[in-house]
This record gives sequence, structure tokens and C-alpha cells, in this order.
Amino acid sequence: MTTHPGSAGDGQHPPHDHDHDHDHDHDHPHAPIAQETEPSYFELMETAIRELLVERKLFGPDEIRRQIEVLDSRTPALGAKVVARAWVDPSFREKLLENGREACEEFGISFYDDTELIVLENTEAVHNLIVCTLCSCYPRPVLGLPPDWYKARNYRARAVIEPRKVLAEFGTFIPDEVEVRVSDSTAAVRFLVLPMRPAGTDHYDEEQLASLVTRDAMIGVIPVRTGQETA
Amino acid sequence: MNFKLNSNPGPKRHVVPAFGETPIFSRGDRVRVLNRSPIGHYRVPIYLRGRAGVVERVLEPRQLDNEREGFGLNAGDKRHYYRVVFSLQELWPGYAGSPSDNLRIEVFETWLERI
Amino acid sequence: MSQTENLVNRLPNDIGGLGAGQIEMTDHELLPWEKRCHALADVLDFHKIINTEEKRRGVEALGTELVGKLSYYERWIVAFANILFQKRILAPEHLAVKMDEVQKRLRDEAARAARAGL
Repeated sequence: MTTHPGSAGDGQHPPHDHDHDHDHDHDHPHAPIAQETEPSYFELMETAIRELLVERKLFGPDEIRRQIEVLDSRTPALGAKVVARAWVDPSFREKLLENGREACEEFGISFYDDTELIVLENTEAVHNLIVCTLCSCYPRPVLGLPPDWYKARNYRARAVIEPRKVLAEFGTFIPDEVEVRVSDSTAAVRFLVLPMRPAGTDHYDEEQLASLVTRDAMIGVIPVRTGQETA
Repeated sequence: MNFKLNSNPGPKRHVVPAFGETPIFSRGDRVRVLNRSPIGHYRVPIYLRGRAGVVERVLEPRQLDNEREGFGLNAGDKRHYYRVVFSLQELWPGYAGSPSDNLRIEVFETWLERI
Repeated sequence: MSQTENLVNRLPNDIGGLGAGQIEMTDHELLPWEKRCHALADVLDFHKIINTEEKRRGVEALGTELVGKLSYYERWIVAFANILFQKRILAPEHLAVKMDEVQKRLRDEAARAARAGL
């Protein structure tokens, strides 16, 4: 699997127009975020709307900035800590499976929206994966923002009809005797997969365990592997 | 404050719940998604219309009808959503995975009927 | 069901189970305006000026062509504009004038910065 996060100083990809006729969620890498670049039409629209609403006092001038900080503070590392804690602490795991949001809040992860969280435990008998066919529902307070592929057409269309083929494209092969459960989000509940703890990690401390857990494992498209780089 | 605890049952018999307050369905109930075709906004995908499943859980607390919330209803009538399990083999002709594979999805109470 | 009926009663985002190709496992770091747009959505929801479900409906209402051709956050910001007009919070003229003003301001700032040799 390849990911191409935009990075400053990566001059390999020139700016380009977005008038291809497909479900467009930035399937290709962007130009570096250079402030000298002329703002796009849509950036002008965003700036104008924001300034107009602040002028009309619909929200305060610092609220957007503050919410950006909130968003920046939510990354897969948070979810990884939750998973690691569940692996080492049976009472936390039990609480997490009973009420995901409450357990995360007690753990120190606030939920800034009205969503609930159901944590789906992978076992030897059951493999879970999550999708939002209708839009891009995702457990943002605990995982941050979803990757483009999760929001794009192909994953959303196929995860509910051929999950095993989708998993195979991520290099994940689930034996026939294991039940695959696909959770499609449509309302106020969000989902987080609690992956299986890999073998050979009995001697790992919580921090080491957390470092193994990737975003994609908590979406359910790959397992947690030892020696794997954090996404 | 000191309440005297005794073995008398609570007041449930005398308490009348409001319309829509009590969930119609329970865990394990077989339900069918209605075959309605709304336009404008819906959150029950077409692939589920008319399909049969089993209630996995009743979601609490009650929430707004998201078809109405999409048009600006931010408060008011709330009903239950249900997490319903659908067999993938039953949903999709020629499903090639395991017969035990399934899909779970939240459905608003007014979209379901008992079977 | 006719093709036009289909276009109306299947929302453009309702694609579960439809044919689709290989998953392109790409991702990108959000541009600053995209992140601001996401933050804007959250703030609008907190204040119930535009709740999250209204945003979803607004994006759906863009229709198949725009949903197919605009990027994720481009869809959001156009949906916000439409919803704000419908709610009479803004008028199209306000937004058009402001966008021109912002564009001019940013160009002037860029020109000043260029002259200062930055």
C-alpha cells in the first residue's frame, strides 16, 4: 500500500485542475502547500464565508483556529493508546466494549461532537471492518481525519458487497471459518475496531504495544503486526 | 435525604411512557426494512430496502430522525435507532464469501416493520 | 424505473453495492483551506447554524455532476453557501462581493510581499 502525504519541499507534483469525471477525493498527490500559490476559487469561497459569518457574529473570530487545534490533536496515536490499554487492562477493555465513548472520555479523550462510539473486537472467530457507504462517517474524535481512500467511491461501494476482496487488496486474507462483519455507519454511532493483539508481544509494555497499532488496523482493513511502522 | 428502602416494587405500573419513548423492537427481533423511496434526503441505503434482518441492539438514547434533521430539525421528536444485522449471503446474489459474513447498520425506527 | 426517476430517487452518494474498481490507497495532507473548511463545519454544527446532517443533505443536493467533479471539501463549501442562502443568513450578492474583495486583498498582499523581496 502506498500513501502519498503532501510534504513541504516535495516539488515533484505540479498543481493541476480537478475536472476529471470521477468521484474525486484527491486520488493523486497535491502540490506542496506554498502560500505564494494563487488561492483557488474554493479557497476564496471558504475565506469569504468564514469572514462574513464572523462579521455577522454567528461565531467568534478565534473559533476556527481553536477547532483546527482540536483537529490537529486527534490522530491515530490516540486510538492506538486506547487499543494498547484495552490489551493490557481487562477492566478497561470491558468498559470500552460496553460504552466506547464513556471509556474514551474517562481515558482522557473528549468527544467534541454528538456521536457515540461502539468498539468492535476482533477475535479468532470474528473480523470487523468499518465503512460509511453514504458519506465518510469515521471516529474522528479518537482517530483524527480519515484517509482519502476511505472517503472515495471504490471502498465505500465494495466494502458492503465484497469485503473479503477489499481486504485482500490491503493484503489481508481472512479464513473462511472466520466471520466477517461489516459495519456501515449511517447515524450517530461511530465505530473503532479493536484489533487482535499479535503473538510474541507478551513482554511489550503499553507504549510499545501502542506503537504497533496503525490507523488501518483500527479501520479493520489490516491486522496489527509486530515490527510494523506506525501509519 | 433518607429514603426508606423496602421490597415494594417501583411505580412502573403507574407510569405511562410518552409516545415513541419505548422502543418498539428488541434485540433478536426479526425486522424488515420498508420499501419506501424518499427523495431529497435519506440515510437508509437503497441496497437495504425491503431486506430482512435481525436486531442486534437497541441504540440509546433516542435520537432525531436524520431525514428531518437534514432539513434543519435540531430538536423535537426522537425515536430509537436499531443496529440490525443482515446476512451478506442473503443481501447479495452469488455472494462469494462465508455464509456467516454479515453487515450491521443503524436504522431509524420508522423504517422498520416486524416479521 | 426510468433513468430520470433513478437520478432522483437514488442520491448521488448512495453507492453501496454498486460496481466499482480497485481501491486506490491514496491520501493527502489537507491543504490549509481544507482544514479551515473542516473546522468551519464543526463550528457551524456546534452552533447549530448548519448541523452535520444538513451538510450531508446539502452535499447530496449538489447533484451527480458536482458530486462527481468537485473534491471532498469543495463539495462542502459550495453546500454551505447554498444552505446559508436558503436560511437567509447570506445572499448570493454578499458572497460574490466578499470573494472578490478577498481575492483582491490576497493579490495586493502577494504583490507587496514580492516587492519587498520575500
